[in-house]
Amino acid sequence: MATATTGVSAAAPQARDTSRDAAQKRPSGRAFNVVAGIVLGVFAVIWLIPSLFALKASLSSNGDAALGAGTVISNLSPTLGSYSTLLASGDIWDWYLSSFLTAGVTTVLAVLFASMAGYALSKLRFPGRRLVFAAMLLGIMVPPQVLVVPIFQMLDGMGLLNTYWAVIFPQVPTVIAVFVFKQFFDGLPKEFDEAARIDGAGYWKIYRQIVMPLSGPIIAAMAIITFVGTWNNLILPLFVVSNPELMTIPVGLATVQGSFGQRYADIQASAILGALPLIILYMVFQRRIIEGVAGSGLKG
Amino acid sequence: MTWNAPPGPTRRTLLRGGLAGAAALGLAGCGSPLAAGIAGTPLNPDTVTFWNLFGGGDGARLQGMLDVYREQNGPGSLTSATFAWGNPYYTKVSLATLGNKPPDVAVAHSTRATILAQAGLLEPITDELLALGGFSSSDFTTSVFDAGKVGDVAYTIPLDTHPYVLFFNSDVCGQAGLLDGDGKLVQIVGQQAFEDALTAIAGVTGGAAWAASNVGDTSGSWRLFQTLYWQMDGATDFLGDDGQQLTVNEDLAIATMEFIGGLAAKGLLTPTVDYAGAGTQLFTGKVGFQTQGEWEITTAQSIEGLTFGMAPIPQVFDVPAAQADSHTFIIPKMERTDEQRQLAMGFVKSMLDQSLSWAEGGHVPAYIPTLESPEFAALEPQADYAAAAEIAKYDPPGWYSGSGSNFENVVGSQIGLVQQQLASPQEAMAAIKSQLNTYLDTPSPVA
Amino acid sequence: MSAPTLPRQSSAASSAPPRTEKTSALKAEGRAGWLFVAPFALFYLLWLVGPTLYMLVTSFFNTSLVRPGLGSFAGLANYREMLTRPEFWDALWHTLYFTILTTIPLVVLSFVFAVLANRVRRGKWFFRLAFFLPYVLPSATISLIWVYIFTPDTGLWPAAQTLFGFDATAILADPATAMIGIAIATVWWTLGFNFVLYLAGLQDIPRELYEAAAVDGATPWQQIRFLTIPLLSRTTTLVVLLQIIASLKIFDQVYLMTQGGPGISTQVVLTLVANTGFTDNRIGAASAASVLLFVVIIAIAVGRQLIERRQERRAA
Repeated sequence: MATATTGVSAAAPQARDTSRDAAQKRPSGRAFNVVAGIVLGVFAVIWLIPSLFALKASLSSNGDAALGAGTVISNLSPTLGSYSTLLASGDIWDWYLSSFLTAGVTTVLAVLFASMAGYALSKLRFPGRRLVFAAMLLGIMVPPQVLVVPIFQMLDGMGLLNTYWAVIFPQVPTVIAVFVFKQFFDGLPKEFDEAARIDGAGYWKIYRQIVMPLSGPIIAAMAIITFVGTWNNLILPLFVVSNPELMTIPVGLATVQGSFGQRYADIQASAILGALPLIILYMVFQRRIIEGVAGSGLKG
Repeated sequence: MTWNAPPGPTRRTLLRGGLAGAAALGLAGCGSPLAAGIAGTPLNPDTVTFWNLFGGGDGARLQGMLDVYREQNGPGSLTSATFAWGNPYYTKVSLATLGNKPPDVAVAHSTRATILAQAGLLEPITDELLALGGFSSSDFTTSVFDAGKVGDVAYTIPLDTHPYVLFFNSDVCGQAGLLDGDGKLVQIVGQQAFEDALTAIAGVTGGAAWAASNVGDTSGSWRLFQTLYWQMDGATDFLGDDGQQLTVNEDLAIATMEFIGGLAAKGLLTPTVDYAGAGTQLFTGKVGFQTQGEWEITTAQSIEGLTFGMAPIPQVFDVPAAQADSHTFIIPKMERTDEQRQLAMGFVKSMLDQSLSWAEGGHVPAYIPTLESPEFAALEPQADYAAAAEIAKYDPPGWYSGSGSNFENVVGSQIGLVQQQLASPQEAMAAIKSQLNTYLDTPSPVA
Repeated sequence: MSAPTLPRQSSAASSAPPRTEKTSALKAEGRAGWLFVAPFALFYLLWLVGPTLYMLVTSFFNTSLVRPGLGSFAGLANYREMLTRPEFWDALWHTLYFTILTTIPLVVLSFVFAVLANRVRRGKWFFRLAFFLPYVLPSATISLIWVYIFTPDTGLWPAAQTLFGFDATAILADPATAMIGIAIATVWWTLGFNFVLYLAGLQDIPRELYEAAAVDGATPWQQIRFLTIPLLSRTTTLVVLLQIIASLKIFDQVYLMTQGGPGISTQVVLTLVANTGFTDNRIGAASAASVLLFVVIIAIAVGRQLIERRQERRAA
């Protein structure tokens, strides 16, 4: 992120103060801001409507939800019926378990391995380092979704289909994370680990007790991004896990009709339940997530 | 310079601990899926796992039948899951079987079951297996049982035949003079008689006479085509040599499309209507006829104040015919103990014993004890069109054919366009041939 | 005895250690390096490189999903099939159509919203929440929500259409508009990501530049045209390229909202691949289609690297 430019104009002469204030207070400037606020506000409300509508529908009865948008909006007696049906029926708990397990294990492994590799590429000299680096660069360009067919075949050959591992393993190698870690470690002063080397510490100790603790924000950002990405992955678990009891939330929502049919309220409730952990995650880690997104322009 | 290890647990240990805790919770509450997901152990080995693709009215009816099984065998005796109809369902079944965790029993259309069998994904239905459930192959309508055979080996246990039939609005048709003294539809034979009937109905409705859904319903359009095509003398299977050859009688096919397009052009047949819309048009009297699968009987019966009837599709051309498929039970391949086989067959028997309930949903039973029972004969209006099951025309053989298949999508799309007046029969035929080319030229992946 | 030509260690070790110690220290570092890289490398080789190679290989065979082994050799037949099959080109076109339908609104709208949001003094958190929240939702959730909104006759969308005096349409049921419906849902879903990127880029532009321009008499429009847009060109390039690559890989929304229908009017390359491989059981043909898509994506990704490098050089 380019923070250097701000330093340039920081030393703007104080003499300009009055004219600067005048510039801000100039009618065209202020009016524009007000108009901007209003226009943006309208769009922001429009952007909130689908989620709110879905929420309202999920809090209606199935009959009302089927009658149409007007009924859903004007209905003034919310009911938790859909949520209680879903939470009592059992399937969604299996899906939560599957999603938490797979996303959690993948995140731990991915962050661990990527940070280790990033550390090696940043701080350690080893033969073939350039080759590994080049291989990683190529890896960034590989789109994992396109590989779903051969990955399926390989999992089949290993007998791993319909297990959590089928969802976990292919998602562990996240090349971008390696680069993010490497870049971050590059920025860490050499003195830390060099001093430790002189004191006789092994590389693993350095990694574990110096480098990693200093990397809090980066680890957090990578962990969140990996967790969310794994949770939301559809195409891989869709084909490698076929049993409703083992499905992750997106797959369960997508494939199991249950006895849903025209039970629109139930469907909307399930959609919201499926997203709930991520919504909570976002609320708690908002700043980290935004920083992570803005700072690295990741995902795609 | 010395360094100090930071105090307290690192983020990683916290994460690890949290995960372990969650896993423990899961183990306590869920047992089987956790073990299966981690170690690949069998899922639900002591219950019957049953997958199906029945939504809507059929789905509700099925749930009732499943509940009866649960009442008889205990609440935890059955795990069932419903998936979206068509390709998504069959893909799931085959992928689950490849991944060694298929359901114990699954529903399959006859026309798709044979493909799964060829792919080596099904267990043969032997006499011994049937005996475990307490029935035999002679308990089923022969034609339906044979339809599920590959070579001499049977792979399906038939449940029903569900033909494409005619629904009629009694009020409208009565006013058009098409009902006899008992309120049943008079016999309509021949193209002229059929068009006259439609014209009479149109006179009553002031609009179209007949609704056949063709938007978002490629299967529906296919069924319409297949029915009318096979009513013509000289009709041949659309595909031959297990899907490697195009053997359709092109002249007759084009004539069929011209008939459909012609009626739409004359305003007698709705040009553009979707699945639900076609039903609504019939229920509200905007048309007098609707052609659809018999399973829509539940929807029709739920409309208050509607008097309606059902009949086999009239013989418009030379011979009676109706497109149909059959729902069957299949046993996907898996390592099973005899006990599990017993459980599975017990479940199938329970379903077959409830064939009458299933028949109330409009389907024609393939289980002879039910088919020939007085209760079924007394079912109205099922009795009126049960004969359609005997003139049933299944989809042509082919690894890409069958209910909900790509074949149905390709042909059905074009028929729908002809009905919408957006394509001429010649253009449609050319498009069908071009789109089927890929499949025709490809060696079967299940051969 | 001449000193060995070892790469110099940067630490200030005053006494040159004997050769054996230095080499063994280097060897230890080398070994440590490999050990650290090993776990990642293992997964990388197994789950990224391996499948890519396997995909390449099977594309030349008639591999079947339900038959063991590679199947009969097919040479270029699978590629020929895909390149001459109208359905494949349709899928490519639909993918491209989807890319255009989403990239343009996503870039323009997110830019406009970010510029407006940057002007607003207070309440930025509200706008960030409103626009970014959808991005956190899984594709399954947004698809279910929008399918419900698009329900013919009774959904929120037809209701809004009639409210504003338009004819109510069943947007997902009509082959001509189904992709537009998917695009609308996608824009709603992913705008927040680009919004945040632009906002971050905007906040890097010092306020003083705007104020100086305002003092010089520039209207807000002119400020945007001559300051904001050029200064954000790198972000815009990034957004556009990311969007294009993401759109090429589209699968979720199409699978969830229309299954490629009505007919095959919204079939995209990845749904065709999944269909061919998992429903038609033809792994070989699916691999060939995947390779073709792969090539297109790599070409664009390489293009992106080149453009970025050129921009960096220009900025330096």
